[in-house]
Amino acid sequence: MPNGSPRMRQPARSAQGNRLAGFAANVLRPATMWRLARILILAAMLPCLRAQTIEDGIMLHKNEICSGTLYTHDAWDHYWEGTTNRTNGNLGTVTTQTMDFTANYGVFSRLDVIGTVPYVWTQASQGVLHGQEGFQDLTLAVKYEMIRWRFKEFGTVRFFPVVSGSIPMGNYDPDFQPMSIGLHSKTIAPRATLNFQGLGGVYVNGSAAYVFRGNVTLDRNYYYTDGQIYLSNQVAMPNQFEYVVSAGYRAHGVMVVGNYEEQQTRGGGDIRPQDQPFVSNRMNFSKAGASAVVPVPLPWVHGLQYWFTYSNTFDGRNVGQSTTFTSGLMYQFLFHRRSAQ
Amino acid sequence: MTSLAEILQRSVRLAPMFAIAGIALMIPGCTKSIPSSEQLSPLTPASTDANAGTWKMIVLSGPTQIAVAAPAPATDPGYQTELTSIVNEQAHLNDSERSAITYWSASGVLRWNELLREMVAANDLPPEPLPNGTYPSPDPNNPFDMPTYPFSNPPYAVRAYSYVSVAQYEALKAAWYYKFLYNRQQPYENNSKIQLLMPATGLPSYPSEDAVEAGVNSTLLAKLFPTGIDQITNEANQQQEALLLSGKASASDWTAGFALGQAVANVFLARANSDGMKAAGGNAAEWAQLAQNAIAQGQIPWISQETPLRPPMLPLFGQVETWILPQADVAVVRPGPPPSTTSTQMQQELATVKSAVENITRDQLATVYKWNDGANSVTPPGHWNAIAVPYISQAQFSEVRAARTLALLNMALHDSGVTCWDTKYAYFNPRPSQLDPSIKVLIPLPNFPSYISGHSDFSAAASDVLDYIFPTGASYFDAQAKEAAMSRLYGGIHYPSDIKYGLIQGKQVGDFTVTFAESDGAN
Repeated sequence: MPNGSPRMRQPARSAQGNRLAGFAANVLRPATMWRLARILILAAMLPCLRAQTIEDGIMLHKNEICSGTLYTHDAWDHYWEGTTNRTNGNLGTVTTQTMDFTANYGVFSRLDVIGTVPYVWTQASQGVLHGQEGFQDLTLAVKYEMIRWRFKEFGTVRFFPVVSGSIPMGNYDPDFQPMSIGLHSKTIAPRATLNFQGLGGVYVNGSAAYVFRGNVTLDRNYYYTDGQIYLSNQVAMPNQFEYVVSAGYRAHGVMVVGNYEEQQTRGGGDIRPQDQPFVSNRMNFSKAGASAVVPVPLPWVHGLQYWFTYSNTFDGRNVGQSTTFTSGLMYQFLFHRRSAQ
Repeated sequence: MTSLAEILQRSVRLAPMFAIAGIALMIPGCTKSIPSSEQLSPLTPASTDANAGTWKMIVLSGPTQIAVAAPAPATDPGYQTELTSIVNEQAHLNDSERSAITYWSASGVLRWNELLREMVAANDLPPEPLPNGTYPSPDPNNPFDMPTYPFSNPPYAVRAYSYVSVAQYEALKAAWYYKFLYNRQQPYENNSKIQLLMPATGLPSYPSEDAVEAGVNSTLLAKLFPTGIDQITNEANQQQEALLLSGKASASDWTAGFALGQAVANVFLARANSDGMKAAGGNAAEWAQLAQNAIAQGQIPWISQETPLRPPMLPLFGQVETWILPQADVAVVRPGPPPSTTSTQMQQELATVKSAVENITRDQLATVYKWNDGANSVTPPGHWNAIAVPYISQAQFSEVRAARTLALLNMALHDSGVTCWDTKYAYFNPRPSQLDPSIKVLIPLPNFPSYISGHSDFSAAASDVLDYIFPTGASYFDAQAKEAAMSRLYGGIHYPSDIKYGLIQGKQVGDFTVTFAESDGAN
């Protein structure tokens, strides 16, 4: 059987729409406490209200805050058992739905912190396995705009060192793959992002990270994986390398980009024939997709945007062959033009 | 454009952030060494168990069924050459030899049990369906072909644990008989230049008990788990090298012990060849008959919940030969029928199962996964072996007494497996999720009938035997058995009746082994 979500709910990042979220660089003017409270309430009520992401090159101003929610639907009926692509009549289609709650805050004009809380549901369309749901892993990131080169005739290039980490929020059990909602590993990931915003709207973003993953604790004191037995409840999690590249058009609040993403796990065993997936499996994938952001013109709300992203996992190992979409409305207070220059 | 100086300046300001991140990065990296072998202290036997050669045999007619020739006297030049070679080898030990000596000083019996559990887990995967919706059978004649042989499911595994444990116990009793018959001293006692690099056992060295273990285990494991042949051979070679360096055994001690172990193993392989296991899978006509039997009794018959439908797991395992329980008593310990599939009581039990799953607590969920022991596992019998190991090690049992403990445990486990399978297929009772498709389960559903619970049966039998051998651990073993049994209700795969009668039968079957143990001469 396959692993949890297509990408095992890779914890260091929220759902697939992340890289899109900040394209409009939502900005709020320094808010009073009352305003802040109102924003948070709105954030809880509106389906989508997001700012920039961990992976892109877009920043908030100092003391600006932005938050929102995001829905992701991920499904697969084929998966890679090791490197063998197959279906499984005892699973049918495995669907993972995620609601992300996100908040971004500009600590300084060049230093942002980002936090995401995902709530995850899993279910299988066939067989007898019980779906799972719950809060998954809290992700926190610090993003620093270290370098900004302005080229008058072309646009702006920025470089960002980023550190993100994730920690399981609850005591969910990771030993029921593929139904478990996550891997229950603490992670910390240094990341580097290079971003180009052209004057004519050309947009290119590349981001790469190395994810260090802490041991996972199981409720059993032995397990067999990668060709040997381990007599412990501790599972060593192989680290991961990942990168994502986006390119397209971004100007005047409209954005259309193509995305390509890869994850390589630096070790771990394969799912053996007819075996259940295991937390430390070598989970690799290649995904391609596209994203679009368009303004929603409403007379009584300024700065509302609809956005949609789609991705397809076209190659993988020990992961589901997922089709994923993320959809929502993005709400921006007081559009700030700086990052769209 | 930003100047280089500015970039550097900013980098310096950010240094604390990266320093903190760097420290945090090291935290997961430090914790990645996970033990793959048991942390056992070196064995200094509490007793030599000098009379073990007289302990009751189970399969062998007596300790002399396999003849072991008298060793050469200590003055023999050939033996002296063996001792000189130990002196020479000990003069330049390397680190890997030293760690092998430490590893094997813990207890060969427990080390081989560790490997046995690993072999079970490695082979515990059901065949994948073919594109035409059928399931191929593992083929013992082509064990490396897919699906690899064997599928080490709980019945296969419990039989394997018992064969290896009982054969080893019988062979060690025979070894003890010859040890005290011939009374050859250990190499370090015969040559003062030889150091003893393992704890002293006070035992005569011929034939070597470690060699007996290597002979029995490597012979049986190679047959039971043929794809593990490299690891099995390597394990036997390692034990031999460690022992010949340790000052405990010479080459002729080893050779005689290994041959004895092999010979006893062959006696058991002959038994295994005709114990009923080959027919345990049944055939399509027999599977259909099982369903007809249930229908004739007015019951809804069990049907596989897998897609495509998978044939039931080893439906005739209930006819496989037992160890201690008389074969005729298999039917005697079979409980009465489960609640009728259409009864009010069954509706109530279904409601109990559904409520258990939907209202599960985190602690209950932990027991579900602790006791899952499904595919890719050591199986429940292996889990009980793992529970016994630290008790055996802590008691510092001699090797023959350690082997006795594992033999008693695994005979009870095997016999309870046979009676459990007999009951399961006598009634062919559906799983909860078959009668109520709204019941979803928290562990993969075992592909055989529900009544009675195998976990409950195995665990009650195992805790019964361990209670007898380690009375101070009794409350722990009993609690573990109860937890194992209840975990199946929490997981949604068993009714309360399955658990109740599984525990009762396991205790009944275990009692036969305890009664045997009370008068086997080892007390």
